[in-house]
Amino acid sequence: MSKKIYILFIVSILTSSVFGQFVGKDNLSISLFYMQKTELDSAKKYIDLAIIDDNLKSTPKTWYYRGFIYKELYKKKEKENKVSPLRLISIESFKTMLTLEGKDEFTESAFKILKYEASTLYNDAARMLDPKNYRTAVSNYQHYRRTMLLINPNIDLKSRDVKFKLALASMLNRPAETSTGLDSAQAYLIKTLYIEILSIEANNSSANYNLAILYYNQGADIINNMDYDMDITKLNEVQDRCVELFLKGLPYMKKSYELTPNKMEILIGLKNIYYGLNDLEKSEMFKLKLEHMEAKKRYPVLKNKIKSLKDKGMKDSEEYVKYKTELQNLLNKFKDLEKE
Amino acid sequence: MKKVVFILISLLILSSGFKLGSIDTNSKMKAIFIMNFTKMIEWPKSYREGNFVVGVIGDSPLYTELTKMAKTKKVSNQSLQIKKFNTIKDIGKCHILYVSRNKSQEISSVLKKVKSNSTLIITEKQGLVDKGAGINFIIKNNRQKFELNKKNVEKYKLKVSSNLEALAFTVK
Repeated sequence: MSKKIYILFIVSILTSSVFGQFVGKDNLSISLFYMQKTELDSAKKYIDLAIIDDNLKSTPKTWYYRGFIYKELYKKKEKENKVSPLRLISIESFKTMLTLEGKDEFTESAFKILKYEASTLYNDAARMLDPKNYRTAVSNYQHYRRTMLLINPNIDLKSRDVKFKLALASMLNRPAETSTGLDSAQAYLIKTLYIEILSIEANNSSANYNLAILYYNQGADIINNMDYDMDITKLNEVQDRCVELFLKGLPYMKKSYELTPNKMEILIGLKNIYYGLNDLEKSEMFKLKLEHMEAKKRYPVLKNKIKSLKDKGMKDSEEYVKYKTELQNLLNKFKDLEKE
Repeated sequence: MKKVVFILISLLILSSGFKLGSIDTNSKMKAIFIMNFTKMIEWPKSYREGNFVVGVIGDSPLYTELTKMAKTKKVSNQSLQIKKFNTIKDIGKCHILYVSRNKSQEISSVLKKVKSNSTLIITEKQGLVDKGAGINFIIKNNRQKFELNKKNVEKYKLKVSSNLEALAFTVK
């Protein structure tokens, strides 16, 4: 019996010493007490009470610490959660703090935390760029943008936007390179993204090229799926549609060529679009440019191979004759190769 | 942040595009036109048995497309057979003979070679419909169209349906 009384006595002393120190203290102070002890769940409980307390809710300090505590909780509990609500509440708290008078004392530190949170959002956006999770990626990127604008309302995020949209569009466009192809909704979404990119950066070669390809592929897909039994009236209607699509793609491919004339893919693009438009003369012109470019790459390779065989005294070998003939054929077709 | 930049850049590199390099848009259209011609032109009775032969003289990507078509299509109950002729000397009996652009200048020799057959001569060069071709493919406003010379078709004992006349860009 005496042992039980002794235990009760000890417990009552301990509890009164913990709660005793909170007598007369506000929820913010209690929250900070727990925060210092890294008891974050308790700190969260009291800071959430503090923000609805009339005496505390207009104080930047309350919102700053709420942002801080939620950030710590995010790090502890939701670091791997790409849609962490704790992280977003933290950002929202700093956002409120930045609207309050007397915020200056906390601004620098808040910006540091916001920068960290923005970087985690950006990383999570990039990591979620896959066909299943891209909507989360978009949402995280939007949060990233808003957070960066909180830190600096004048920040120029154009190049980041372009990079993200390009990566997103490329990822979404992957089925186009397989037999699955794109359905019309996917194609529309990707086109919209490229058009958005071009509205930010009209001279983006990649967006110009990819948009042209989308239009071309759409037309070529229609042709590819045509039945050989299609009647001529229907065939003429389909031709109209395809020509319209090829013509839509053409200015973007031309722009891309203007920006990066030495890219083989673009030459192939122009060759194919003009061919689709039955402009065989222009298609042939780009085919020739393409062959010239390929020849320019092949020429030094052949020269080296020939020299190496010559050095080894293998001038009579079959290989030597083969390379010599190939080189001569290239020179016959493109006389300027030797000068270059 | 470096890791992320890497992720984004690698995605950009992966963005290629032309999955349709293997599709010959122009030849597919022509093949469909030719399939239509087989339905709107009537060959003599003796030509309505055995394989329905389409010959291609010279180099043309159309040969590949027609070969693809022959795998799945028939002309009435006749199997489609596509033959490639390298020289005029090689030309044998066929229902349709497609004269590719690089053999266009030899049209008169082609005509001599097939004169005793019931062959529809199709060409793809401006003016050939006036030089003996029954049908000539032309390009109008970026679209594939065809000219018809009824006389040149009927000369080979072939009958042209009025529908085909109506669908031709010009009829001579």
